[in-house]
Amino acid sequence: MVPPWRIGVDVGGTFTDLVMVDARGALMIVKTPSVPSNPGEGVLDAVRKAAARLAVPVADFLAQCRLFVHGSTVATNTVLEGKGAKVGLLTTEGFRDSLEIRRGMRENPWDHRKPFPPALVPRYLRLPVRGRLDSNGAEVAALETADAAAAGEAFTREGVEAVAICLFNSYTDGRHEDEAAQALGESWSGEWISRSSAIAPTIGEYERTSTAVMNAYVAPRVVTYLRDLAAELQRLGLPGALLMSQSNGGVVSVAQIADRPVNLVLSGPAAGVGAMTLAANALGDDNLISMEIGGTSCDVALMSAGQVATSDALEIDGYHLAVPSVEIHTVGAGGGTIAGVDAAGMLFAGPKGAGARPGPACYGHGGTEPTVTDAQLVLGRLAPGAYAGGSVTLDRELAREAIRARIAEPLGISIEDAASGIIRLVEQHLLHAVERISVQRGFNPAGFTLVPAGGAGPLHGPSVAAMLGARRVYVPRQAGAFCAMGLLQSDVRQDYIQVFMRELDGDVAQAAQAGFAQLRTRAGETLTREGFTDDQAAYRRALDLRYRGQQWDLRVELPDGEEFDPALVRRLFEAEYERQFGHIQPGGAIQITSLRMAGFGLLPPLEAASAPASKESPQRRETRRVWFADGWHDTAIFDGADLAPGQSIAGPAIVTEQTMTAIARPGDTLTVDAAGNFIIDLAERGATA
Amino acid sequence: MSAGTAIDPILLALVQNRLDHIAQQMGRVMVRTARSPIFSQAHDFSCFLADAEGTVVSQADGIPIHTGGGGFAARAIVARFAGDIAPGDVFLLNDPYAAGGNHLPDWVIARPVFVGDDHLGFACNRAHQSDIGGGAAGTYNPQATEIFHEGLRLPVMKLVEAERVREDLWELLKLNCRTPDLLDGDLRAMLGSTRIGAERIAALTEELGTDQARACFAGILDYAEARFRAVIRDLPDGTYRGEDRTDNDCFDPAEIITRVALTIEGDRLTVDFTGTDDQIRGFKNSSLANTVSGVYTALYSFFDADLPRNEGSFRGVTIIAPEGSVVNARPPAPLTMCTVFPAHDIIHACWRALGLAAPERALAGWARNVFGVTSGTKEGADEPFVMYHNNLAAGGGAIEGRDGFNQIGHLCTLGGLTIPNLEVYEQIYPVRFLRQEFRCDSGGAGRYRGGTGVDYALEVMVPALYSFRGEGLRTPSGYGVNGGDWGAVGAMVLSPHDGSEPVEAPQFGLMHLGALHYEAASPGGGGWGDPKTRDPQAVLADLRDGIISAQAARDIYAVVPGDDDASLDMAATQALREERAGAPPQSASS
Repeated sequence: MVPPWRIGVDVGGTFTDLVMVDARGALMIVKTPSVPSNPGEGVLDAVRKAAARLAVPVADFLAQCRLFVHGSTVATNTVLEGKGAKVGLLTTEGFRDSLEIRRGMRENPWDHRKPFPPALVPRYLRLPVRGRLDSNGAEVAALETADAAAAGEAFTREGVEAVAICLFNSYTDGRHEDEAAQALGESWSGEWISRSSAIAPTIGEYERTSTAVMNAYVAPRVVTYLRDLAAELQRLGLPGALLMSQSNGGVVSVAQIADRPVNLVLSGPAAGVGAMTLAANALGDDNLISMEIGGTSCDVALMSAGQVATSDALEIDGYHLAVPSVEIHTVGAGGGTIAGVDAAGMLFAGPKGAGARPGPACYGHGGTEPTVTDAQLVLGRLAPGAYAGGSVTLDRELAREAIRARIAEPLGISIEDAASGIIRLVEQHLLHAVERISVQRGFNPAGFTLVPAGGAGPLHGPSVAAMLGARRVYVPRQAGAFCAMGLLQSDVRQDYIQVFMRELDGDVAQAAQAGFAQLRTRAGETLTREGFTDDQAAYRRALDLRYRGQQWDLRVELPDGEEFDPALVRRLFEAEYERQFGHIQPGGAIQITSLRMAGFGLLPPLEAASAPASKESPQRRETRRVWFADGWHDTAIFDGADLAPGQSIAGPAIVTEQTMTAIARPGDTLTVDAAGNFIIDLAERGATA
Repeated sequence: MSAGTAIDPILLALVQNRLDHIAQQMGRVMVRTARSPIFSQAHDFSCFLADAEGTVVSQADGIPIHTGGGGFAARAIVARFAGDIAPGDVFLLNDPYAAGGNHLPDWVIARPVFVGDDHLGFACNRAHQSDIGGGAAGTYNPQATEIFHEGLRLPVMKLVEAERVREDLWELLKLNCRTPDLLDGDLRAMLGSTRIGAERIAALTEELGTDQARACFAGILDYAEARFRAVIRDLPDGTYRGEDRTDNDCFDPAEIITRVALTIEGDRLTVDFTGTDDQIRGFKNSSLANTVSGVYTALYSFFDADLPRNEGSFRGVTIIAPEGSVVNARPPAPLTMCTVFPAHDIIHACWRALGLAAPERALAGWARNVFGVTSGTKEGADEPFVMYHNNLAAGGGAIEGRDGFNQIGHLCTLGGLTIPNLEVYEQIYPVRFLRQEFRCDSGGAGRYRGGTGVDYALEVMVPALYSFRGEGLRTPSGYGVNGGDWGAVGAMVLSPHDGSEPVEAPQFGLMHLGALHYEAASPGGGGWGDPKTRDPQAVLADLRDGIISAQAARDIYAVVPGDDDASLDMAATQALREERAGAPPQSASS
């Protein structure tokens, strides 16, 4: 490896992936077991292991690092495991239950026996403050600072570790929240205060409260962890800042994220956006749908013209957050997804998964329920023996037995038909997930290239793409470390929003321009503080708009620059509306609801690896029987390391790589592109059922 | 594979999932393309797929109270247009007496699905329109005494014939609507949604071949039937009775009772409403389609959430609804309110009967809502506003394992109706909110406590028209089960800013009032089980949170707090509970 290099470390539930790219685009991947009790230890393990592999001291290894980016589930797990801080909440008098009412939103009304997840602040720690702003931000009643001070005393008495402040109508103006924070500080000495107007200045008291509370809930755990890790890496020799991947798909320094760690809850999967950018650059096609398949779930994201949409509506474990997040649709379909036959004889797959223990039956850890991985093994798409970097050993007989007992026999079909049934069912779930994210946004998935990722994700790529009517599949060689790769290609990003309720007419231009200028100043100040010069900074303006009377916004990106032309905005809005909904209201009144600014600190693009095209035909390692739609086929098995740019393989074929397994069906053609990734051109459209 | 042979079980699973996905996609298209917030915000619609005979095969998208009505509409089309259903046709209907509707505001669009000349079925949606003419804006006319006062009645009609919209008919529809632009946009959304549904089903059928597709549809219905019969079979044979009542007929106080007898014999269930009171003057009568929907909402919600919901599961169930009763009104009785209130009565009556058959699964009552509508004109605005007080929603009932939801959307939506943010309302309406907080001592006591409902207050800054639907104001409506208590009643007082006499809200009717202070409380849901068996820690938490009073903790729950409000006196609690064992529960709500 040739210095300097970049390092990305993605901490997942099972593995910590370290990916590094050197000055010439060469890659190295190190996988180590995660240390759930102390995720930072897993990061340092990976660093030590990487340094050892290069035979350099850790200090030298880190000293040559120009960019160290971290993706972490520490915020996510704090939420999922319910291990956040004891939080107190200040609300406007009369509204202390917004947090717990949650607007009555439940995912499936029919499932009414299921309780809500616990409110993160119990009612006795949700304390009222008198004072009121109206819906334009004008003061109706001054803030009673004595109420906030009294609340602080109660919080001190109760041992509250973090406080959230969300006052009614504070999206219009944060001054009451600032006053409350100050008064609170007189009687409560904690470090962590989360003001909703600073973290999520969006309209809607429930979501804003929920976001401020979640921020307070995770802050003591997450920020402490990150500060410790950053200090330790610096002590070991890292010259620059530790950057974190955020829910918005960009990265941010630990110093910047300390005020709003709630932005990290989607840290892991959002890094996939960077990986899609890498794939788009290598392929020369920026209309992609990624499908990252893990142990029990699959994350689907859509990139159109190089952009992955973000929204302010993030849900995690039943909690609603108004933070800018890339739109990722997650479904319960992964390698560990359990299949079975219900009491009335219907085959199902998911949503339950086998987890790491016992895992799929073929792991030999005592699992008896068949999973997707068992089906892949029975069908010859995975090979018996060492799997996932040697961490487990796959036993085909155990897989066959589980499928025989639980599915083939109850349904009266062969083991192969049962196994292929499991795969068809789970691939249908994947198809539906992709259709959902694309159709919902008004895109036809047939026009996209599917990018499957995760260790076993590429095995599903061609079938799902064919069902979508897509033309081709693109499998990154590092598909098994997709998000870690993405960390290396993410720009620094911060989002700013200002609620702006105005009719879109000729009079609005000046106010809108002034509003954008303010946001731009704030974005610029942050980037300067983070060390970016003007030519390393970029800004994107966007607007949320709706036809008058509607309750949903549509986001429209504005061209670069500072000018605000209402006529142009109307045309852009109408074009996007027409694309998504198929009709417009000619001349209809349009309302602006908010102004948005994204500030980017641009990192130099990653050097793409490229090797000269090979003239030789690729050599298979073995031939194995693999089951496809019409039965068994003798199938060539290649080692990815043997495949060079320019080489092409006719399906059926399987390619095994360090972190993943890819497949080409009979009739498909797999070609290695200049970047060393695999393009699979598909034989034909597939059946959807 | 040809029809008649056994269906490939894997294919059956795939086709069932695909049809459900298609219905859901239709719903997403509706939400994204509709004009009216009734679709996009309240999701007051459903999408369903029927076979060529009009039997509903999938209705994966939709509000619960539409659950049993799809087949009525589809079969009305088949009955009226048999032999005259062609590719390129689209049907429209709404009338509950003549055309398989449930109530007039819900319009059904049905698009036949053809593959070649084979008619496979229908892709349909049913959606609540913003306005349909009639005696009051916004589809609800509380003064109605005949269906003619409630809006435009539509028989089964072709809205589109041979791919051409019947423009004259379209104009007639718009002419009879106060919000023609919304109607226009929403009908287009419904047409677009059914087009996508029909195309997807046609594509699926082409993959499968028509014989195999039909066999799969039949197999899906058979599967749902088997699942449903299995849960009925698990209940002990016998006849179980339940009832629920309303306290007015929209014009006068009156006691109107819905009575049901559920008879379980093996895997068969009979739901018999014989003995239910006669239809009433006001618009709280139910159509047969709505009554059947209410029954299925009750049944499906009583069992597991993953039961397939299509008309296959109806095969083991017989519903008897006497004509001329409040659950099967004769024309021209008005019935627009049926999806909310008679539905509430029907669901409650069925739940109470089911709870006797399987007490461990019993569901305590969800309180009836007390809120109505405020409409007027904001200063300087050119259009009137219509504001629903959804943030005054009531408390839900408890079940074993969880307390009732403290505030939740209408029972007929099983809470699917989302409660708005008040900040958004302050942007739209001339109001200032003062309060939306849980009540104290209002949730029905029980081992699991009923939902509390809320105290709710606001200032309305302009003169406005108030329509009242105060079902939960005078009479407790959240019944308790297995020894749990009723939830408290609601309250509503309107105090004009000009100092004139405060108005205690009536249970029904309309009133013009000046700018005022609006103060209300929504009723509480019912409790589950004996309150003296409630986990003392849960009682302490409620006490600490101000959800119950110290008096209720001691008198109703038999719990004695320690010296501070954060601990229990376990010995005193145990002693009190032993002393009170067997004593009848005391009521907090009366």
